[in-house]
Amino acid sequence: MIRPVASSSDAIVLTGAGVTLTGRRVLQDMSLTLSERRIGIIGRNGSGKSTLLRLMAGLIAPDRGQVRVAGLDPAQARKEMLAELGILFQNPDHQILFPTVDEELAFGLIQMGQSRSAAQARVAQHLALHGRSHWQGISVATLSQGQRHWLCLQAVLLMEPRTILLDEPFAGLDLPTQHRLARTFAGLPQRLITITHDPATLRGVDRVLWLEAGQIAADGPPEAVLPRFEAEMIRLGGLDADADLAR
Amino acid sequence: MERSLTHIALFAALIAVLGLVPRVDLATGVPITAQSLGIMLCGTVLGAKRGALAVLLFLLLVALGLPLLSGGRGGLGVFVGPSAGFLVGFPVAAFVAGWVMQRTTLPPFWAAACGAVIGGIGVLYIFGISGMALVLDKSLSEAALLGLAFLPGDLIKAVLAGLLTLAIARARPGALLSRRDAPAA
Amino acid sequence: MLTLTSPVETALHRLRAGPKLAVLAGFTFALFWISAPLWLGFALVAVGGLYLRGGVQFFRHGVAMLRPLWPFVAVVGLWHLWTEDLAAGGVIVLRMLAAVAAANLVTMTTRLSDMIAVLERLARPLAPVLPPRRLALAIALVIRFIPVLTERMAHLAQAWRARSGRRPGWRLIAPAALAALDDAEQVANALRARGGAG
Repeated sequence: MIRPVASSSDAIVLTGAGVTLTGRRVLQDMSLTLSERRIGIIGRNGSGKSTLLRLMAGLIAPDRGQVRVAGLDPAQARKEMLAELGILFQNPDHQILFPTVDEELAFGLIQMGQSRSAAQARVAQHLALHGRSHWQGISVATLSQGQRHWLCLQAVLLMEPRTILLDEPFAGLDLPTQHRLARTFAGLPQRLITITHDPATLRGVDRVLWLEAGQIAADGPPEAVLPRFEAEMIRLGGLDADADLAR
Repeated sequence: MERSLTHIALFAALIAVLGLVPRVDLATGVPITAQSLGIMLCGTVLGAKRGALAVLLFLLLVALGLPLLSGGRGGLGVFVGPSAGFLVGFPVAAFVAGWVMQRTTLPPFWAAACGAVIGGIGVLYIFGISGMALVLDKSLSEAALLGLAFLPGDLIKAVLAGLLTLAIARARPGALLSRRDAPAA
Repeated sequence: MLTLTSPVETALHRLRAGPKLAVLAGFTFALFWISAPLWLGFALVAVGGLYLRGGVQFFRHGVAMLRPLWPFVAVVGLWHLWTEDLAAGGVIVLRMLAAVAAANLVTMTTRLSDMIAVLERLARPLAPVLPPRRLALAIALVIRFIPVLTERMAHLAQAWRARSGRRPGWRLIAPAALAALDDAEQVANALRARGGAG
């Protein structure tokens, strides 16, 4: 099987894209071309970064402008997107769809057109490769939080998408699990787009986008963007900004 | 498509979970199983069609052998027992409750409470009493006498269904799919 | 997920689910046409005999599954004591017990996966309205989310108790329903991200 490697032909391109949710403009006039291998999107709670992730993934469509992934509209070309984009959601319990480990892992492969038996064989092989053959057939409810997180990542990796969108990938995990996960991410050939509010997660990426109130506040290498972001967060921490009502 | 499917599945799971909760005893000592409240909420929150489908999916899992009815009951036996009529009536009750919710412009509490009375008592009792009459070989009026024992508890439940629907509407504007103008496909 | 399938392996476990269900349907249908107490008694004894072939423990489990019927047996008994027509009462009770016991027997001796397979076969004519894959997906989602929502309810109950001396009771149902609505939105996204409900 061809290993999925990011290149500029599969770039994510936003042209004047905007999103309005329940009457509020969550994202405004986004024009971006994302083709680097490691990209970070940073912002505060409510800055619109989750909406941006869902927009790029085609889970929501823009009200204005357009989004293209490898030249296709991700909200329309759902089948084609399976090979282009994978998403690791923040909460495993929102991502795991099936009661058992192998059903969960096989689902994406079957959706991509593999037969049930081929998908099951591939899953068995994958679990054996990771020394987890005994996980076959067990209930996902018996897995720990870290194990469920691992399961979600493998379900995405098995589909071998060229880009993986990561939504706060380290939230709620203990330090050993975080380190192990970071090592796994570093070894992946795919393009990774990480969404986070934690600057520490993004050291060493190729490009950082700072999102503020639905707009790009800064865009550049991490050395340039992250210190400014941290200084601003410390300044905001000194104010009682939480008293303001968002809407 | 996906949203309809997941709403139906999650509410079927919710009905099951409410059956696992130990029954709540009201101050008067009337036992209330949360499960039938779940059936009503399927209608009043999801609307007629999706609400009825959620209840059907739940009953399907019961028939397949999962002990999801309150008290850990389940399997095929419950569908030939004396309460079978109530089970058959559940999806229709949810449908009617949802229909009342969608077709009236009453405020959420009154619409949901009326829906629960018409669907969860009126319609459900027609099915339940017919079922009891059939299995217990009694006339409809004799079976109705048996059914009357549950009426006070069910009236309280209708009020609770109204209060819960109102609480959901207040906590999350737009959460009531039964009240959205254009439900997503 | 806990099912009602008995862990005690009986000969009936090895029979195929489809024929078992067909026999059950015929048996139940016949019960409602028979009104001779002797034949109904014979039917109940026959079902009891099938339970006993699985051993005493299996038989006891079967009896325990009939327990929810006792209020109805009591009501019918009292009623017919009052109308002085005990034979008619006996017919009703025997028929009810035999029908429910036979149905429970099939449930206790058939695995969930086998039942789902029969269901998928039965639902095949509905394929234009209800694709079998979608039905299977819906069933899997319910089984998957029952423990998730149960845990959520337990957390909500703890959060309630941490801040209140009173028992939460029915008030927990509203946050539980909101949790189900939120989860439904998230899971719909996860499903769409991996190719939809197609």
